[in-house]
Amino acid sequence: MAERSFAKEVQKLKLGKGETFHGEGILAVTKALLQAGVSYVGGYQGAPISHLMDVLSDAEPILNDLGVHFETSASEAAAAAMLAASVNYPLRGAVTWKSTVGTNVASDALASVASSGVMGGALIIVGEDYGEGSSIMQERSHPFAMKSQIWLLDPRPNLTSITQMVEKGFELSEASNTPVMLELRIRACHVSGSFTAKDNVSPTFTLAEAMENPVRDYGRVVLPPSNFVHEVEKVEKRWPAAVSYIKKHRLNEFLGGSTGDVGIIVQGGLYNTLMRAMQLAGLADNFGRTDIPIYCLNVTYPMIEDEVRGFCADKRAVLMVEEGQPEYIEQVLNTILRQADLQTRIVGKEILPRAGEYTGQVLRDGLQAFFAAHAPGKIKGAKPDQSLEAKTQKQLVQNVPPRPVGFCTGCPERPVFTAMKLIQRELGDFHVSCDIGCHLFSILPPFNIGNTTMGYGLGWSGASAFNTAAGKRTISIMGDGGFWHNGLTSGVGGAVFNQNDNVLVIIDNGYSAATGGQDLLSSRAQNTNRITGQPIERAVRGLGVNWVRPVNTYDLGKMVNTLREALTTDVKGPKIILAQSECMLNKQRRDKPLERKAIQDGQRTVKTRFGVDADTCTGDHACIRLSGCPSLTIADNPDPLREDPVTRVNNDCVGCGVCGEIAHAAILCPSFYRAEILHNPTRWDRARAAVRHGVISFLQGRADKKRTRYSFGEAS
Amino acid sequence: MKTERPITIAITAMGGQGGGVLADWIVGLGQNNGYLAQSTSVPGVAQRTGATIYYVEFFPKEAAKKAKRDPILAMMPVPGDVDIVIASEMMEAGRALMRGFVTGRTTLIASTHRVYTISEKEPLGDGRQDPDAVMALATKTAGRFIAFDMDAAANATGSFISSVLFGALAGSEALPFPRPAYEKIIKQSGKAVEANLRGFALGFANSTGSAPAKANAPAPAATPPAPVIAPLMARLGDDFSPACHDMLRHGLKRVVDFQDPAYGTLYLDRMAAVYELDKAYSGARRRWRLTRDVARYLALKMAYEDTVRVADLKTRASRFARFAKEVGAKDDQIITITEFMHPRVEELCDILPAPLGRFVLRSSGAKAFLGLFFGKGRRIETTSLRGFLLLSMISALKPLRRSSLRFGIETTRITDWLDSITRTAPVNYALACELAGLQRLLKGYGDTYDRGMKNYATITEALGTFADMKNVHKHVKTLKESALKDEDGLALKAALEKLQNGRTT
Repeated sequence: MAERSFAKEVQKLKLGKGETFHGEGILAVTKALLQAGVSYVGGYQGAPISHLMDVLSDAEPILNDLGVHFETSASEAAAAAMLAASVNYPLRGAVTWKSTVGTNVASDALASVASSGVMGGALIIVGEDYGEGSSIMQERSHPFAMKSQIWLLDPRPNLTSITQMVEKGFELSEASNTPVMLELRIRACHVSGSFTAKDNVSPTFTLAEAMENPVRDYGRVVLPPSNFVHEVEKVEKRWPAAVSYIKKHRLNEFLGGSTGDVGIIVQGGLYNTLMRAMQLAGLADNFGRTDIPIYCLNVTYPMIEDEVRGFCADKRAVLMVEEGQPEYIEQVLNTILRQADLQTRIVGKEILPRAGEYTGQVLRDGLQAFFAAHAPGKIKGAKPDQSLEAKTQKQLVQNVPPRPVGFCTGCPERPVFTAMKLIQRELGDFHVSCDIGCHLFSILPPFNIGNTTMGYGLGWSGASAFNTAAGKRTISIMGDGGFWHNGLTSGVGGAVFNQNDNVLVIIDNGYSAATGGQDLLSSRAQNTNRITGQPIERAVRGLGVNWVRPVNTYDLGKMVNTLREALTTDVKGPKIILAQSECMLNKQRRDKPLERKAIQDGQRTVKTRFGVDADTCTGDHACIRLSGCPSLTIADNPDPLREDPVTRVNNDCVGCGVCGEIAHAAILCPSFYRAEILHNPTRWDRARAAVRHGVISFLQGRADKKRTRYSFGEAS
Repeated sequence: MKTERPITIAITAMGGQGGGVLADWIVGLGQNNGYLAQSTSVPGVAQRTGATIYYVEFFPKEAAKKAKRDPILAMMPVPGDVDIVIASEMMEAGRALMRGFVTGRTTLIASTHRVYTISEKEPLGDGRQDPDAVMALATKTAGRFIAFDMDAAANATGSFISSVLFGALAGSEALPFPRPAYEKIIKQSGKAVEANLRGFALGFANSTGSAPAKANAPAPAATPPAPVIAPLMARLGDDFSPACHDMLRHGLKRVVDFQDPAYGTLYLDRMAAVYELDKAYSGARRRWRLTRDVARYLALKMAYEDTVRVADLKTRASRFARFAKEVGAKDDQIITITEFMHPRVEELCDILPAPLGRFVLRSSGAKAFLGLFFGKGRRIETTSLRGFLLLSMISALKPLRRSSLRFGIETTRITDWLDSITRTAPVNYALACELAGLQRLLKGYGDTYDRGMKNYATITEALGTFADMKNVHKHVKTLKESALKDEDGLALKAALEKLQNGRTT
């Protein structure tokens, strides 16, 4: 089960005509899909669209009632290939993933379906992970749309526009026999808002009907000569059809004033940010009312040439607000104007930054520069300087430490990298090829382990060049998520086939953890709608890996020894360590309520947590440098003679035991203790405790009395 | 064009702190009370303990109805345009300041507690940043600044910091809603309602200053020292300047607790010599810095951590009580405490009679044999009779300590150390103090202690090469601090190189 349950929210998917839907953008998109009579939905999780996948899987009963199939695709490529169902049949389908990484993976199938063309509406919902909080390379989805000729929608970030665009997207796709990409920026996916719902619609043509009455058309297969015909179709038939649909249904909006010799063209998704910047500049009010003409591109590909010409014709200068680079739209604008011999000046990246997110501040500055140069006096007065005085800023930079992400409290992946740090102390540093997933936090302090990360499931492939005789082996990391996504074949299969002699550590925590704890083939959790419990060990042995060692990650000693063996053994061939323990986030979510209840119900329950003995802790923090657990922190030293802070375990401790293991494995200090707190003890427990307590406190009393002989007394 | 402007609220939190819950509550609060509400967040890996931000905007439904249009609400805060900033930790408040969210128009609600970042926790010394600086800047910058330890409040009420923050928001009256409106939302959420209401109430009380003041514990009644201790105390009082009394008292207490009053006498003898030195070189004008510094570290050196000491500390009644409090165990619960210890052959030899200890360390055979018993970490349950008696027996070896191997070694080290200080003070008082301070490098057990020794040696040896330099004491201080930065000694190496280059060029 995923990190977050939408069991309650999905009931909103049942809302009918005229009712108001309140909720998250992603949930609204799901509702819009059902209103559009979608037949099948697929995808692969990843921020910012993980919730879309989670919502769909929690909504499966509702989907089944409507006759909609939801597929948890093995990868974005698999999801994209799913759209093939819309090539021969009037079936509406939607797929979703994180972009651009997911689009990279999907591009092979995307290009094919775009070449074949579709009969039923095909919608690709991409969550654009760009700007603040992004964890991936900063690129645009735009060129994927351009290169394969897929129409790109970039709606204004309010639920009404977004849900309308889902409906229109399907129609556009069908009108032009072309797949359509709906781009949602990270904040739009999670924006809360409302829109007026419509009734859900069951698909008029079902998947079963298609399966029972297959339709074949050679003209739709990407093979000569059809592939050449497709290209001609794209430019002569599909493109014009799309343009006329977009114009007819006014997908792009002309907002603001109708006259004036300067205007603004903006990507729909940036409209709200632009309007706030304009409002702050005194150019607009909070309802978006302004006398500056605005051409809002809810469709950013293709460009509608006569709309552009019409908008620009009477203007001296137009500000193009286009986020990211290269500035494809700005380039097209200039081409269109040049061909029409219009002299309107397009001002884009020359004043707006080439790279980085377009925040309110950035656009506010851009407006200031644009109007100063092309319509002086439009913005009354100079821009109020919001920036802190340099001195204050400097002091803040000096005093506010960065707060990078890290492993959660009790994370089972932590001890794996503790073990690697310890083995590197013993055998020297190794080349470590990382993957995508929580385990990538190993590159950050306190571990600082990891050389490169080439993509999801590509951990071992990322080290495949180092498949040669050397004094040291390489270590590669792969999560179970990446393993099933493609690592099984690209990494493990490739290593077996190429007689790789290096080491792979597979983090087998039972979930696709980083994307929100979704289930996988190898999940131990029971899942009512999916088959789980397929062990990774069987898979890799099946591929011909003979050196496979499953290790419980919390057994630090064993992990260190296994790593040592893998790195030093004379046995040739690929070596795989399966680092196994359940993701603590998911474990706690499941077990904590049960434990609480058990205690309330008076059941005998043992709660474990760890602590540090301040008497013996000397404040060196070696334990922290091997752990980085959030609950392992520091506190003022109670010892008046010592200056450095002592280590302390705070109340978030879940008692995973890693600190104790570290104290042993690294031979640190005798300060760590494990406290087992027994709730609702039995009579026998009490009796036993009473005896122990009796003897111990007698001895302690005696010792204390002895010590009072040396008492310093109390100063008043 | 002037119309009603939205109310803007930014929440800066750490992943897993319930910032999302708080944002949802605030959105519900607005929607229930005549406002259109929108929230946005930046999810993803930021939610794995990293710094993250939630943003909420309110717009009056009335104004929207009048205009017959929906307002355009922003997706992210704009510097200078934020009315309320809620920070779940002091440095996150600082981060909000850095981003320009906090200005004269802003009500800043922040918890004063610290959640230390890895860069603050990692160093071998004290890497903590100064929250007071941030507090001062926040006070200077924010229109209103409401700050108290909300983490403590959450713990005190068995709730979560999100509910305390929500209470503080209500108490601040920065939003035009009455208290019941807030409580209604918590009840509506239906999750941990009781706990959240408790947290909310305390948050509200603290932010309005109506929280009951805590009665501080009465000072313990003065009691005279034990007969055997009285003379030591008397000597301390008579022979040393009051400026040194505190530190000396702490030190004396430590060494007596470590061994016996006679050991305390030895401590005072050694200190007396240092004090004379200090006096001779106008320590009085320097507030007896040398005496105080040596008093601190001499005590720590004399009361070194050996297995006997550890066993002694771990069997004390006071400690059991402290742990019960630390782990928050109630009286009707039974706690079991298991210690993670890893005594090696070296630690065993430390407490053996010197000749025997030396023999074992030299003879590889004996070492190997004992290695069988001291090769791996031990888990000792101090709340069980077996574990407790084992440690009690070890601590009972205390009287034999003076003849132990380690005692001899430490005595030599102390003598050498004190000699170097005695030699240095006449020529360079400040340097003598720094030499005393170098002992800060020595802490921990096993490898950790050895690393400290190595750094100590590196610096004292290097000292020979730049002893004649100007401000040599400053250099020693710098080297000490860099040695406390990282365990691979990179910072120390760099500092030494800088120093060498400094003298060549």
